Amino acid sequence: MKYILIVVLFIISLSVGAYFYLKFDKRKKFFSALIMLAEKLSVEINFSRERLKVLIENFDASSRKNLLNVDEGYLAYLNKSAELDSKEIFKNAQVLKQEEKDFILLFLKTLGRSDVENQTKEIQNFLKRFQEMKEVCDGEFKKYGSLSLKLSVVAGLFFAIILI
Amino acid sequence: MLSKILPEKIFKILDEKVNLKAVNELRFRADKPIVVCVSGKNYFLTENGVSSNLTNALFASKIAIEDIIFRASECSIYSVNEQIKRGFIVTDGGIRIGIGGNVVEENGQIKTMTNFSSCNMRFPHNVKNCSLCAYPFIVHDDKIENTLVISPPNAGKTTFLKDFVSQLSERKLSYNVLLLDERGELDNNIDSNFFDKIAFSTKKVGFENGIRSLSPDLIVTDEIGQEEDIDAIIYAITSGISVLATTHADSMETFLKKPLFQRVIKDKVFKRYVLLSKRNGPGTFEGVYNENFARVSKMS
Repeated sequence: MKYILIVVLFIISLSVGAYFYLKFDKRKKFFSALIMLAEKLSVEINFSRERLKVLIENFDASSRKNLLNVDEGYLAYLNKSAELDSKEIFKNAQVLKQEEKDFILLFLKTLGRSDVENQTKEIQNFLKRFQEMKEVCDGEFKKYGSLSLKLSVVAGLFFAIILI
Repeated sequence: MLSKILPEKIFKILDEKVNLKAVNELRFRADKPIVVCVSGKNYFLTENGVSSNLTNALFASKIAIEDIIFRASECSIYSVNEQIKRGFIVTDGGIRIGIGGNVVEENGQIKTMTNFSSCNMRFPHNVKNCSLCAYPFIVHDDKIENTLVISPPNAGKTTFLKDFVSQLSERKLSYNVLLLDERGELDNNIDSNFFDKIAFSTKKVGFENGIRSLSPDLIVTDEIGQEEDIDAIIYAITSGISVLATTHADSMETFLKKPLFQRVIKDKVFKRYVLLSKRNGPGTFEGVYNENFARVSKMS
């Protein structure tokens, strides 16, 4: 019975650590994917002038997975089947902070509203801010991501030692 | 397509309470009543359909107008900026949306338009056989006469052109037709297997490129408006290609006074003139005239 309890406690503490690790990882991957998308939009709007819907649909599938369905919410708005509001767009992106959500929403709201030159400038301005956000996320991941995983292992071992 | 462009409420009223097939135009002006042109007559749009009374008329907001234009561009204004610079957008369904707003100029060139304050949606209509009144006077012995269709705005010039091209194909006359479509609205619903299209180019460029690369038998183009267009038409005709074009005038008398066409009239560039009016609704056929402006057909 004691050993079962030790295993359960060890798994719980590892899960807590893994949760935080994955949270920081998701944030990091989200901003990487967002930057890739913004860069693609900037280039394609200048080059092909293709419509947003097509550009987003053709965005690299593996990167799209990391966008936490923000792209899907935005496509629904482009198809006029959903509103462009924070609740709708970020329903699967709880890992993002409110200020980040507000900024990304502002980015989405400015897309498609101006001519090529102004649109490109706007995207470049947003890209700078996204880069800063990504750097913060990278720092958080390095600092807290692996730390939370290590701490969870230590906590698990700690419980095991106490119970033994 | 219309449901994707219009505000939901407006679309619902038009769809349920107005005969959309009879709607020619829909006009939105910021803080002004929405005007619907049905069968050539203007009405105000209300919750219950259309009315000639201003009471209960629905008003358009500036935000709604901007949203219509944004949606018409498929949420990508940058992708239609070349059209916006010329004051309109044409949607996939051939709806032409004329735009009012502020023109942004740089070094004498129009850069874009912003601050949209009005828009005018023109709905394309197909009127089967509408060109048949004039057809026998234009096409004979496998030859198409150079023809100019004259009518006031919104009186069926484009519809006439589209039906004429379809009629050629229907009669298995395998003329290679080049549609020179400056506004991207000509090829919508044309039932023909023998046409090529050059869209969104000036007439000068379109005629030159089209003649060089597509060797057409007939060039069909809308709205002749400047000297450069006349030069392009004369270039085509002297290259042995027939031309079917249109221009604005409310009567033959007005047309004959237009300075732009004096050279064309004097040199008898066009062998046929088709006059349309709105006398009995858009597309009323008034007659076909020859190069000496003698009527060769009866009035409808």
